[in-house]
Amino acid sequence: MKLAADRVLGLALIGLAAFAAAHAANLHVPFSYEPVGPKAFPILLSVVLAALSLIMVFRPGENGQWPDKTLSLKLLAVLGVLLVYALLFTRLGFIVTTFFTVLALARLFEATWLKASIAAVLMALGSYYLFTQGLGISLPRGYWLPDFA
Amino acid sequence: MFDFLIDGFGVALTPLNLGLAFLGAVLGTLFGALPGIGPINGIAILMPLAYTLGLPAESALILLAGVYTGAEYGGRMSSILLNVPGDAGAVMTTLDGHPLAKKGLAGPALGLSAVSSFVGATIAIIGLTLFAPLLAEVAVMFGPAEFFALMIFAFASMSVMMGKDPIKTAIGAVLGVMIAMVGVDSGTGVLRYTFGMAELYDGIDFVVMIIGLFAISEILLMLEHANRNDANDEIPPLGRVMVSLKEVLYCKWTMLRCGLIGFIVGVLPGTGASVAGAVAYTTEKRISDKDGTFGTGDMRGLAAPEAANNASAAGSFVPMLTLGIPGSGTTAVLLGALMLYNITPGPMMFSERPEVAGGLIASLYIGNVVLLALNLPLAGLFAKVLTIPRWVLVPGIAILAFTGVYQLHSDLMAIYLMLIIGVFGYLLRKLGFSLAPVILGYVLGGLMEDNLRRALSISGGDVGILWQSGISLGLWIAAALLLVLPWLLPKLLFRKSLDGA
Repeated sequence: MKLAADRVLGLALIGLAAFAAAHAANLHVPFSYEPVGPKAFPILLSVVLAALSLIMVFRPGENGQWPDKTLSLKLLAVLGVLLVYALLFTRLGFIVTTFFTVLALARLFEATWLKASIAAVLMALGSYYLFTQGLGISLPRGYWLPDFA
Repeated sequence: MFDFLIDGFGVALTPLNLGLAFLGAVLGTLFGALPGIGPINGIAILMPLAYTLGLPAESALILLAGVYTGAEYGGRMSSILLNVPGDAGAVMTTLDGHPLAKKGLAGPALGLSAVSSFVGATIAIIGLTLFAPLLAEVAVMFGPAEFFALMIFAFASMSVMMGKDPIKTAIGAVLGVMIAMVGVDSGTGVLRYTFGMAELYDGIDFVVMIIGLFAISEILLMLEHANRNDANDEIPPLGRVMVSLKEVLYCKWTMLRCGLIGFIVGVLPGTGASVAGAVAYTTEKRISDKDGTFGTGDMRGLAAPEAANNASAAGSFVPMLTLGIPGSGTTAVLLGALMLYNITPGPMMFSERPEVAGGLIASLYIGNVVLLALNLPLAGLFAKVLTIPRWVLVPGIAILAFTGVYQLHSDLMAIYLMLIIGVFGYLLRKLGFSLAPVILGYVLGGLMEDNLRRALSISGGDVGILWQSGISLGLWIAAALLLVLPWLLPKLLFRKSLDGA
């Protein structure tokens, strides 16, 4: 049997279905006024999911194009940037984190340092004033930073 | 009978709503023109903003519907100029649109597609005005069992109509329904799939889900496209800017036919603009392609999918407004947006919230005229959007996604969840899944379970109630036929041709 992405996915989904069904079956329902209760529908869905996945395991589609090594690294880098953005979002505040995120993302999308820096300054400040002044959204100022206000 | 429309124009013509319809049309055209950002992404990005601004439900819906119809207009730009469809609905537009641009007729092609979009949308909006109230009257008779059967029918028609791989469409829909199970069960208060995390008690937030699934996964996909060099980013010269009346009249029957086809496909629950474009193009090719010019830059081959995809956008509002069952992935998102306002679309909406239903329909009329007025003279300006480099676009999407999700509850957990869903969405797309079924399943999942359980409560657990009434039995049969026919039909035809031989 050829190892196709769809086969791996199908097996993973069967695993997910089994897990979802087990979780639903173990729900503790103290009392219920209706005949169905919270278990039946998720279990029904798990059965349907498992059946469909089984079809896919036996009849996988084309394997598709998967990113090569350099591209995978870049994808991970973009995800990493977004994760760091999230981690520091409230700690360093919107302006600082947005500046570095735009800088990093623009560099990953092959802008020169100059263009990336200009974009970072403009977008960080521009979006901050647009959101806070224009739309009245409150954004984190960053509780790690000294309070200037 | 058309009182709701007159009231609706009263709502839609207030300065605020008129301004929002205009803003939605402009933003929608821009979002549609940008490759990769289709109507769903545009709405996903704008929805949290509309919600925070404290807009009333009908105003928010007018803005978002403007984005939706505008994006169907804008999607054609990159199809014609770059041979890259701006969104799924504009795939067929590349077939004759890009050859026209190569012949130096990019300007007339843009003009013609704007006119055919307008004609298609107009046909469908009139259809919506006529049929929606009628369907709403029928839908009042629907009980929980009928609604459950209707949703089964919606998923069946989606599986058959959408994409090459019905199994994957079905899996996507089931996954979406399962995601909707997370949170407190409304019937019994039992916690399902929350794993002890308090943030999940209310279920996975709609905005988080949409932005993660579409915006974040799009950022990752854009990185791949940036590293592939097969796309030609050179915009061809537009040539003369206006389309001539002769060219428009040459395509008049094409537009009318395909507008009608698009409307019907749009009304079918679960099938959206991409299906409409494909059906219209193949039909039109069969009817009028006498000289084999389709695919080489035939004006009719351009008008067909454009009339159809805009018509289907308006048509997909019919099931959404009357039955609460979205006709496409994008109306599924709009349905979710309405639920944020505690409005559940359905048969009662025309009588209980006429300002929402009527205001929306009236704003579609207004928006359609605005879009034509914008798109005919300003096509060249909108085409400039295509030259925005990715290194500006991607950080922009990231900023909007983060602020959009953060300002919901000022909660970082939501952002982490958004990123996780984004990776999940990226993997699904890489594996050949379409995301529309996932979102349709997610939006309908809760309703589906509620209706099933309510039906079975009424019958005291007897499953027979699900197909007892004529309406529900008909829907079950229709769903079964849809699933079986594509598989059975070729075999029957094959046997007939054998008998003939």
